[in-house]
Amino acid sequence: MRRIALHFGLLLTCAAILIPLLWVIRTSFLPEPMSYSPEIMPAFTLDNYVALFTSTRYGQSYLNSLIVAIGSVVVALPFACMTGYAFARFKTSGKGGRFAVLAIQMLPPVAIVLPAFTLFRMVGLTNSLTGLIIVYAALNLPFLIWILMGFFEGIPVDLEWAAQTDGATAWQAFWRIVLPVSLPGIAAAGVLGFILTWNEFLFALVLSGPQTATVPVALASLQTSNGVQIAKVSAGVVLAVLPLVIASRFIQRFIVQGLTFGSVK
Amino acid sequence: MSSIELDHVSKLYANGAYGVRDVDLTIAEGEFVIFLGPSGCGKSTTLRMIAGLEGITSGDLRIGGRSVTHVAPRDRNIAVVFQSYALYPHMSVRENMGFGLKMRGVARPVIEEKIKEAAGLLGLAPYLDRKPAALSGGQRQRVALGRAIVRDPVAFLLDEPLSNLDAQLRAEMRLELVKLHRRLGRTIVHVTHDQVEAMTMGDRICIMRDGRMIQVGKPLDVYADPVDTFVARFLATPPMNLLPARLEAQGDGLLVRGDGLSVEVPAMHRDAYAPATGREVIFGLRPEDIHEAPQPGFQRIDVTVVAMESLGVENILVGQIGQGNGAEGRPAEISARLSRHYTAAVGATVPLYVDARPMHLFDPETTRALPRPSLRVLGH
Repeated sequence: MRRIALHFGLLLTCAAILIPLLWVIRTSFLPEPMSYSPEIMPAFTLDNYVALFTSTRYGQSYLNSLIVAIGSVVVALPFACMTGYAFARFKTSGKGGRFAVLAIQMLPPVAIVLPAFTLFRMVGLTNSLTGLIIVYAALNLPFLIWILMGFFEGIPVDLEWAAQTDGATAWQAFWRIVLPVSLPGIAAAGVLGFILTWNEFLFALVLSGPQTATVPVALASLQTSNGVQIAKVSAGVVLAVLPLVIASRFIQRFIVQGLTFGSVK
Repeated sequence: MSSIELDHVSKLYANGAYGVRDVDLTIAEGEFVIFLGPSGCGKSTTLRMIAGLEGITSGDLRIGGRSVTHVAPRDRNIAVVFQSYALYPHMSVRENMGFGLKMRGVARPVIEEKIKEAAGLLGLAPYLDRKPAALSGGQRQRVALGRAIVRDPVAFLLDEPLSNLDAQLRAEMRLELVKLHRRLGRTIVHVTHDQVEAMTMGDRICIMRDGRMIQVGKPLDVYADPVDTFVARFLATPPMNLLPARLEAQGDGLLVRGDGLSVEVPAMHRDAYAPATGREVIFGLRPEDIHEAPQPGFQRIDVTVVAMESLGVENILVGQIGQGNGAEGRPAEISARLSRHYTAAVGATVPLYVDARPMHLFDPETTRALPRPSLRVLGH
């Protein structure tokens, strides 16, 4: 009886999560006029997807999002690795320093977006992918540092000691031993950073222009004065979710690897 | 020259606690030294200070006569084998073993040659291309040793390297390490809390407690003449029997009298112990000095059997000798190491015979042994 109740509960939860997503997928394949139809699948068309790439800048935005998300992760990760390692292994700036880093992440984005806009306009980085990459790298840095710090703390210090007695400098021990051993954790952090950037809306809205808009901004722009083009929005959402699905598969693998890599005893 | 000299070395932590306190020790070139002590006694910290992995707060450390107190680990040419083995999980056995040489810029063919040599010595040749995760505990242990050997260091520091192995493998590796030491002739410092390792492997044992080195000597010397009750109890299983007593004069002789205990001090110790006459003492006697059969010079005590542990090769009898006016109001208990043929029912009172010649007396306040000539010096 308990098992049945448990499974019923699980089914209900799954339904609550999956039905909206399934409904979005279904709507993305319906002609616009039928998109609010109560029927499950009254018709099937790929027009929304085609229109998304032919009559809007969605393709450009998609590419922008990929460049910005990957670029910001690539820029932030080396800094995050070094800072996370320093926090994990040494008494660098003490507990205060660590919490200051975390506190930056807790600041409401609205508090930073306007000063960032002013600053970026002064140096001519508004409406540019470089500007977005810089701002996302900076925004994600505290989060990545925090994740990697936990990961580095889990690596036995014996490994570094062994490397140092083997003739490595502290930097060589970090570069040749700690980093390769931490790759699953670094990959997991990178994927999380990618997801965060991919989904971010506020900064993209304020700092980007028509050529540099990212996917969330492009989706929002489908709400026109003629109303919301729900079928097109649905197609856009389906495409926007795709990298996240792939990323989450990766992250699962890396996190599992990350949890088991150290069992060298 | 690869002697290691610790010259009044201390480690003081930021919270004011001493990790290691005033350790003064010279380890000769080629010597096999054991650091023995309970968890947290500072033995691993001392080892890490020798390796350069922990800073030295005060004192000086010299390797081969050269002060290395402020020298980085990589420049000390010392190899460490860790309890966790600390093999690099992303590298193959070959890469693990060659890493140290690679870091020192040794040519590839030389590295290959040395790896081959060490792998042959340790029976690792078939596993050179495996990752550590694909090896058994014993094999990982050998790789860790191999990684140390290929570098040809001036000394090996082993931090409880056998503690993760099962009992049988541990016994095998104990022997392997001793053989390896003979073959390489290098200085080895081996940290352990295992008394068997300490007794069987080293040229000298250094017993540590609370960051201090409280006794240093050859294993049998330390066993025969512990400096205090801690060493007396720590170095063997079952530990030395320690019974509160009083040293009394009896005619020309001396008598140790305690709860259920009345042992005459052998003539050879009378002069040494005479100054303590009339004082409270702790009487110490190892379980193997209590016998089941009388012999000339042995003294009888009656023991009520509390438990018999049959170990196959011998029987350990735990018995009560007192009436309850001993320490903490409990009857005094002793352990005796008897032959495997000896049997006695629990609850029965049986006669046992004490060979008092190896006895010790300790000061109950300081726990230090009262000085007496060593039996090993006297030729017993």
